[in-house]
Amino acid sequence: MNRLKELLKTPLIWCFALFILGYTAWDLVTPDKEKSDMENRYLQQKPTLTLKNLFAKGDNAYNQRYEKYINDQFVLRDDWITLKSRAETALGKIENNGIAYGEDGYLFEKVVSVDEENLQKNIQYVQEFLQMYPQQKTTLCIIPNAYTVLTDKLPAGFENITVNQRDWINRIYQSQWPSNLSALEITDALAEHSDEYIYYRTDHHWTTYGAYFAYRQYIESLGMTPVSWETIQSVKGGTVEDFYGTFYSKAKNADVQPDSITWYDIPCTVEINGEAVDSLHNVEQFSQRDKYAGLMRSNNALTVLYSQVNQNHQEGKTSRVLVVKDSYGNSMIPYLCYHFDEVYAIDLRYLATMSSVMGETDFDELLILYNFANFADDTNIPKLRY
Amino acid sequence: MVFSSILFLFRFFPAAMLIYFLTPKKLKNLAIFLLSLFFYSWGEPKYFPIMIASTLCDYFVSLGIETHRSNKKLCRLLLLISVLFNLGMLGFFKYTGFFLTNLNALLGTSIPLPNITLPIGISFYTFQTMSYTIDVYRGNVKAERNIVDFTAFVTLFPQLIAGPIVRYSDISRELKTRVVSLPQISDGVALFIMGLGKKVLIANNIGSLWTELSESMGFSALSTPLAWMGVAAYTLQIYFDFSGYSLMAIGMGKIMGFEFPQNFDFPYISKSFTEFWRRWHMTLGSWFREYLYFPLGGSRVKLPRLYFNLFVVWFCTGFWHGASWNFVLWGLYFLVFLILEKTFLLPHLQKSRVLSHIYVLFFLMISWSIFAVTDFGQLGILLQRMFGIGVAQSAAGNWIYYLRNYIVTFLIGILFSTPLPWKCYLKIKKYKAAELVILGVILVVSVAYLVDATYNPFLYFRF
Repeated sequence: MNRLKELLKTPLIWCFALFILGYTAWDLVTPDKEKSDMENRYLQQKPTLTLKNLFAKGDNAYNQRYEKYINDQFVLRDDWITLKSRAETALGKIENNGIAYGEDGYLFEKVVSVDEENLQKNIQYVQEFLQMYPQQKTTLCIIPNAYTVLTDKLPAGFENITVNQRDWINRIYQSQWPSNLSALEITDALAEHSDEYIYYRTDHHWTTYGAYFAYRQYIESLGMTPVSWETIQSVKGGTVEDFYGTFYSKAKNADVQPDSITWYDIPCTVEINGEAVDSLHNVEQFSQRDKYAGLMRSNNALTVLYSQVNQNHQEGKTSRVLVVKDSYGNSMIPYLCYHFDEVYAIDLRYLATMSSVMGETDFDELLILYNFANFADDTNIPKLRY
Repeated sequence: MVFSSILFLFRFFPAAMLIYFLTPKKLKNLAIFLLSLFFYSWGEPKYFPIMIASTLCDYFVSLGIETHRSNKKLCRLLLLISVLFNLGMLGFFKYTGFFLTNLNALLGTSIPLPNITLPIGISFYTFQTMSYTIDVYRGNVKAERNIVDFTAFVTLFPQLIAGPIVRYSDISRELKTRVVSLPQISDGVALFIMGLGKKVLIANNIGSLWTELSESMGFSALSTPLAWMGVAAYTLQIYFDFSGYSLMAIGMGKIMGFEFPQNFDFPYISKSFTEFWRRWHMTLGSWFREYLYFPLGGSRVKLPRLYFNLFVVWFCTGFWHGASWNFVLWGLYFLVFLILEKTFLLPHLQKSRVLSHIYVLFFLMISWSIFAVTDFGQLGILLQRMFGIGVAQSAAGNWIYYLRNYIVTFLIGILFSTPLPWKCYLKIKKYKAAELVILGVILVVSVAYLVDATYNPFLYFRF
C-alpha cells in the first residue's frame, strides 16, 4: 500500500512509462503498411537478418534497414508529421520541410542553389544531340518555377534567398548553340498573367491555363497562329477539385487552399509505348491523391497523339512534332494537336534510346521542354545521344 | 543508436528498462553490460572488441598495480602500459589519417591513407578507463575486482557514446549498491525529457539554419547579417545539442540509480573564458586538469613552464575534439584569451556587467566558426563575410527572410541559454500537474520532430 501511495506521488514516472511502453506495444501490434499515400512511396518492410547484411555497410545494412522500418511503420506516422508542421507554425516559422508559405495560399519551394556542374553537362548533352542531327529544327524552352513568375505572392525577402531563374535561363539560352536550335523565352509571357491561375498553389506544376501561354508563344515562334483560349475551353473536359499537390505533401500547412485541375480532352487518338489507349487523360487517376498524374496519363517513355483537329493540316503530308519533356509538358503538349498531325512526347527517364525514335520517324519540329530545376538536376539528359 | 531516435525511444529504451528493472539486484550490472553491448554493437557490430580490449587492459593493469603496490617500478611500468595502450588505440583509430595526410604534404610522399572508421565513443571510453588506472596508481580508488562491475562501468550505455566523461570514482559506490528511489527516478525522467527537448526542439531546429547556409547556399553567397545569424545558429546548436545529449544521459543514469557528474552549467552567461571553461563540457575540462595539467606541474611553476603547460593542455583539448588542424587552432585560440585573462584581464571582466558578456559572446562565436568549418579556405570566406568583406550585391537582403523565419527560435534558444527557465521549472515542479503538462508537451512534440526528420515524400518531385 505504502509503495503504491509513493508511486502516486510521482505521477511523472508512471505517465512516462505508460506512454513509452504503451505506445511501443501499440506500435508492435499494429500491422505493417505496404505504402504511404501521403509520401507516395512504398514503405520499408521488416528486414530479415542475415550474416551478410549484418556486417554490410550503408543503406543495405541490417541496422539501417531496421531503423528505416521502425520509422516508416511508426503508428500514426502521418499525424505526427502534421503535428510537427503545426509546431513549426506555432514557432512563427513561415516554411516547413523546405516549402515556404506565400500569399493567398501559394506555397513555394526554396531553391537556394543550382547544381552548376550538372547543368553545364546537360547543356553539353543537348549540344551534342543537336550536332548529331544537324538538320533537325529544334526549340529549347525552359519553364521557370512558380516563384520566378508569381513575384507578388512571395514571402518577404524570398527573392533574395532563392536562385534568380531569369538570369540562369538567360545563361542557358546564351550558351554556344548550333544554328539548328532556337531558344524560346516564356518567363515574360507567364509574368504578364501572374495574377491569374497559372501555377498551382499546392503543387510545383503549372496549370493547364499557364501552359497555354507557353503553347501560344511556341506556336507563334513557328510562324503559325495559335488557337484562342476560348477554343480550348469549348472542348469537352472537366475540373477536378481538392487537388493537394506535392508542396502540400511536404509542408502539410494548416491553412492549405487545395487546387483544382482543369483538363481538356483535345480530340485525338493516343498510343502509349505503341499501344492504343482509349483516352488522352486517365480520368480515374483524378479521384486518387496524385491527381496531376492523370494528365496525359502521367509520364511514359513514348506517347503519340494522332490529332483530329489539326488546323494546319496539308493534304498528302503528315506533319510531326517531337517533344522531349518532363511532367510539366503533360499540361501543354495536347494543345500541339491544333498544329500537327502527330504529336510525339518523350520522357527520357523512361525511354531506352532516343535514336530508336529519331531514326524511324522524321519530325518537322522538335521541342525540348523542361522546367528549370529539372533541367539543372536531371541525370537522364545524356540519353539524348543514344 | 542515438538517444534522439524513434528506434531508441520506442524500442531499445523501453526494452532495456524492463529488462533492467526485472533483473534481480545481483545481476543488474551484468544486465547493464549486456544491454550496453547490444546498444553499442547496433551501430558498430565490428568494433565492440576494441572497447572490450580497452576495458580488460585497464582491469588487469589496475589489479596488477594494486597487488604489487610496493614495487614502484612495476607499478610505473603497468601504468605506462595502460596509458600507451589507450592513447595508442585513440591515436591509431582517430589520428592515423590525419598524421599520414600531413606527412604526405610535408615530405611530398604519397603514402596511401588506410580506410579506418572511427569506433563510436572511443574518445570517451579511452579517457575513462585511463583515468581509472591513473586513480588506482595514485591510490585514490581501490582497484575493482569484479570484472562484471568494471565492464558495466565502462560500457554503461547512457554515457558510453557522448559523455559526460564519468570517472570510476564518480560512481564506484553506486556500482556496488544502488538504492532505487522513486523521486530520483522521477527526476531522471524529467531530465531525460528536458534533454530530449533541448536536442530535438532547439538544437535541431536552429541547426537547420546553419545547415542550409553552409551546405545548400554556401558561405560565399552570405551577407554580413546572415553570416552572423548562421554562426549564432551554430553557437546555439552546438550547446543545446551537446548539453541536451548529456542531460539525457544524466537522466537515464538517475533512472538506473547512478548520479553522473554535471556537464554543462549555462556556459553562455560567462563573463570570461576562464569562467566559460568551468561551465562548458565540465567533465572534459576537469579530466584535462586532473590528468594532464596537474601532472605537468599545474600553475605552481615558473612562468615559462606555466605557459608551456597551458599550451600542451589547450593543444590537446583542441586536438581531442577532432583530427584536423582547425580543432587545434580552436584550442589554442582559447589559450590566448585564457593567458590574457590570467595576466590582467580577469578582474576587469568580473567588474563589468555588459562589456564582459559582449566580449565572451563575440569571441566565442568566432571560435565556433573555427570549430565548425574544417576547411581553412571556407573558414576564410565565412570570416570575410562576417566582417563585410566580399559580400555580393545580390546577397544584400538575404537575411530578411531567414530572420523572419527563425526569430522565435533564436529567442527561445537565447532564453534557454540563461538559468531563468530552469529556475521557473524548479518553482513549478511543486505543482505536479503543471510539471506533467510541460514535460508531456515537450516529449510529444519532440517525437513529432523525430518522426518528421525521417519524412521523405517521394513526389516524383518536380516530375
